[in-house]
Amino acid sequence: MNKIDDRLKFLHYQIDEDWQHVIVIDEAICQNCHNKQCLTFCPSGVFRENKEKKQPLLILYKQCIECGGCRLICNNIDFSYPKGGYGVLFMEGEEQL
Amino acid sequence: MLTDWYKAKKPRKIGKQGNLHNESSNVKKYDVIVVGAGPAGASAAYFMAKEGLDVLLLERGPFPGSKSCGGTSLIAEHTHKLFPNFWEECHCERIVIQQGYWFMTEDSLLSSSFQSMKLAAAPYNHFTVKRRSLYQWLVDKAKAVGAFVYFNHHVAEVIFDGTQAIGVEVSLPQKSRFFANVIILADGANSLVGERSGLIPRVSPENLALYVKETIALPAQVIEERFNLSPGYGSLIGLIGYPTAGFNGTGSIHTFKDSININVGLAISDFAISGIRPHELLDRVKMHPFIQTLLIGGKTIEYGGSVIPEGGYHAIPKLVHPGLLVIGDAASLVNGTHGINLAMWSGFFASRAVYESKKNRDFSVKKLSLYRTLLDESFVMQDLKANAKIASLQRELPYLFDLYTKIANDTAYHVAKVYSMPKKAKRKFIFKKITSIQPILKMASDIWKILKVVKG
Ligand SMILES: Cc1cc2nc3c(=O)[nH]c(=O)nc-3n(C[C@H](O)[C@H](O)[C@H](O)COP(=O)(O)OP(=O)(O)OC[C@H]3O[C@@H](n4cnc5c(N)ncnc54)[C@H](O)[C@@H]3O)c2cc1C
Ligand code: SF4
Ligand code: SF4
Repeated sequence: MNKIDDRLKFLHYQIDEDWQHVIVIDEAICQNCHNKQCLTFCPSGVFRENKEKKQPLLILYKQCIECGGCRLICNNIDFSYPKGGYGVLFMEGEEQL
Repeated sequence: MLTDWYKAKKPRKIGKQGNLHNESSNVKKYDVIVVGAGPAGASAAYFMAKEGLDVLLLERGPFPGSKSCGGTSLIAEHTHKLFPNFWEECHCERIVIQQGYWFMTEDSLLSSSFQSMKLAAAPYNHFTVKRRSLYQWLVDKAKAVGAFVYFNHHVAEVIFDGTQAIGVEVSLPQKSRFFANVIILADGANSLVGERSGLIPRVSPENLALYVKETIALPAQVIEERFNLSPGYGSLIGLIGYPTAGFNGTGSIHTFKDSININVGLAISDFAISGIRPHELLDRVKMHPFIQTLLIGGKTIEYGGSVIPEGGYHAIPKLVHPGLLVIGDAASLVNGTHGINLAMWSGFFASRAVYESKKNRDFSVKKLSLYRTLLDESFVMQDLKANAKIASLQRELPYLFDLYTKIANDTAYHVAKVYSMPKKAKRKFIFKKITSIQPILKMASDIWKILKVVKG
């Protein structure tokens, strides 16, 4: 059972289908990255390993909880907050919108 | 593909292009624009609008507190001085009458705690509040005295005329600009607006801690039984040692009316080096034998993560710029994990400075520096200064929390345990046990360093 996914089900999101607010700048750098600290660091599991060599990481930006930490652990990550009104919503136990 | 699209959308340097004077003369100009409707921004907006200033408050979330999880504690005295008898207006969850620290190892817990009914009457000591009620209350106050508040507005950058800040650029979906004499940045610990506008240097991952948090629902009566509280009263507990897995950091338990928060955090750099997954650290705490029992029957209703500036006094960036002030977490004004009251007060001091600037029609650094002067003279900077030494001590002795928590627990264990040996021999035995964990000279030197800091 994935402990992060279990936790994310309590959250609400206004998803932006058109724009990804957290990105990897150069995928070639990830191919040679040994530590891959993004995989363990992100509290909402946005960064996932991918089998495909050309794109070693999947960025599940839609589940980001906007802590903003990833941009500080790796220079290859660029993070902006989502556009106005989009992204995570903390509504504590309220039903999904 | 998305990458390219994103790059095309990267913030542009707006200040250097176009004829801004022409543009700004066509649109409404506010006295002041505040970025971020947290405790800092909403307080600033309230105090300025109350003085008759034309205030625009911009918030990227759709409602107050939508981007902030869980709850927090509020220091009553500091809040009461700004908002007299706030407990009659702001929905507080519990009156805190019990404050404790738990020094934990894997299977033990040494607690130091104080509780008193003296803390149960006005003007009180601490309250616990949900972030949503707190942020909503402050925003409502600002609105009631005439501040304009726009939600769903994400500020991308400050607009400059030369070096003078004159407005802000709001990103999509609005893609609009707003202009004012003064801009106040209150966008929180991750001040991307400050950073991208070249006003605040990029924070170092050592100076920013990531906290993860869970809200666990439990009936009010169960909370009161488990924490030994009368109805309506609450406790705040700091968790030290085991929860942070050998790294310097803290955890805490906050009690609310019918839920509790458990949170734990480390410096971002420590998370990165250690490979510890934040949610696993939270599980480690929740599964501790003496915390597990507090949670029986509880139901998690929220999970979240956010950052706290922990660089202390020496990490405070430049707070006054031509036509612009930085307040709250964006200004790194956090003492330990206390930031709410510093945020509100910095908002208040900023409001004084903006008011004086407007009166004199002078928005230079010189005039706006009243903000920094008021901060320096207040508890905000005084406390931060006093704590600065503790922050550097932690850097010097990175094992401090963990090791001495182990020693304290071990000592307590041996003191509590009944041995079949005489008292004097027992004391010797305990001493030997302790010094086997940390050599006596090393311990003496650490204690000396601690004493020097504590005694100032
Ligand atoms: C887990 C945790 C527990 C804490 N516990 C306590 C506690 O018990 N007691 C205490 O005193 N402090 C506590 N703190 C610290 C406290 O939360 C902060 O110091 C306080 O919230 C700072 O207020 P602020 O207004 O500066 O920033 P924030 O509360 O972060 O508010 C910033 C606001 O700006 C908005 N915003 C951000 N960027 C933009 C943008 N570009 N455009 C428009 N809007 C934007 C955000 O959506 C947000 O609403 C805790 C912090 C954490 C993370
Ligand atoms: S994003 Fe950074 S940490 Fe993650 S794999 Fe790529 S280079 Fe490594
Ligand atoms: S901002 Fe935080 S939650 Fe979002 S991707 Fe980065 S680390 Fe993960």
